[in-house]
Amino acid sequence: MEAEELLVLVARGDQKAFEDLYGLVSGPVFGLVRRVVRDPAQSEEVAQEVLLELWRSAAKFDPERGSALSWVLTLAHRRAVDRVRSARAAGEREQREALRAGEPAFDQVAETVEAGLEREWVRRCLDRLTALQRQSVTLAYYDGYTYREVAERLKLPLGTVKTRMRDGLTRLRDCLGGAA
Amino acid sequence: MSLVGRLLHREDLHSLAAPYALDALEPGERRRFEKHLRDCDRCADEVRALTEDAVRLAWSTAAPPPLAMRDRVLAAVRATPQESAPIPEHTPQLPPHVWGAQPPPARVRARRPLFVPFATATATAALVVASLFAVQAGRTQDQLDAERAQSREIAHVLAASDVRTTSYEDAQGRSIGAVTSVSEGQAVVTLSGYGTPSNGRVHQLWLMRPRVQPRSLGLFKADTPLVATGLGRSATSLAVTVEPAGGSAQPTSQPIVQLALKSVGFGE
Repeated sequence: MEAEELLVLVARGDQKAFEDLYGLVSGPVFGLVRRVVRDPAQSEEVAQEVLLELWRSAAKFDPERGSALSWVLTLAHRRAVDRVRSARAAGEREQREALRAGEPAFDQVAETVEAGLEREWVRRCLDRLTALQRQSVTLAYYDGYTYREVAERLKLPLGTVKTRMRDGLTRLRDCLGGAA
Repeated sequence: MSLVGRLLHREDLHSLAAPYALDALEPGERRRFEKHLRDCDRCADEVRALTEDAVRLAWSTAAPPPLAMRDRVLAAVRATPQESAPIPEHTPQLPPHVWGAQPPPARVRARRPLFVPFATATATAALVVASLFAVQAGRTQDQLDAERAQSREIAHVLAASDVRTTSYEDAQGRSIGAVTSVSEGQAVVTLSGYGTPSNGRVHQLWLMRPRVQPRSLGLFKADTPLVATGLGRSATSLAVTVEPAGGSAQPTSQPIVQLALKSVGFGE
């Protein structure tokens, strides 16, 4: 069954449908949250929170506004970004990173294990963007920085960053279109 | 604001579509942009397209979650109430021609039995007096906020490495369930099918330990699960009694239901 149909059933309290939905979306949700949050324990916590929120809020899904999977992943991304920003604000992250210095980065370990086709395609398409487009998009999406923070890090005017983000996403669309 | 000023302001907001799709706005900006989105069809289309692009970036990160996460999430789902659709009160009131031949999915009717009283009460209150509606909507938002805060607490219990579940259902289908963690000393407790006691009385949850007075773990509010903390390893069971409004310092009546905690690792 498609995620759209499952969400309708889940909104009616169907636990079996939720199990199927879990099978469909838990990998993408967990992977995305982990990419943004990085800390394994926190990633797990946020991913669980997101999956539970799908159960609670399934009735809010509106097919008019986009596909079910993009609704799910948009929710997951937002929660991950919220978490990483509050952790950053608390300075916890720097502390943890300092503690971990010496261990291999979590990402490297994970990426050697799963090198999917989609991952390859996205990487290839990201490589086709200009450096500024790519950095603007990935600093925001994968690292959870606001566009103001991105502008600061890249030492670019705000307007330029907004344009790079838009151009970057549109070029990605053109490139990935063939891989869908 | 002049027309040019308005257009510039609009253009400025419009340029936030890509940062919005990437979740790269600060909370204030995000709200301002979402407000703008509601009356800007062009932006809504664009945001939809850009969001789908951003989601492609998400797909490439997919990774299998730890196996234990599945059990935890499914256990949590059994203990967690659902929110209703946004303003579901309106939907049944629309004339049939709006829906065409097919009625919309009956979300309210299909809720789990546990939540029928709340959904019905909300709908009724909303329909009685129009002016009450705003108050009702506000309360609902508070309720949703509270529920979200609570779902974070539940998620916290679930994140414990030793999370377990137990439940008991009587012959009439009334049940009590708990998602527990011995290491955290916490339990998320759900009561289902017992209704609301009459005369403002309440359902109070107690921690039972050998040779010690029962300790109050809190009052159940409507159908929401209760997050009980500070459970020591010696906890043997949870008990629910009906108490006067505000609860009691010690139980004043026999438990209506009791749940043993031995199977989930307590009771040492």
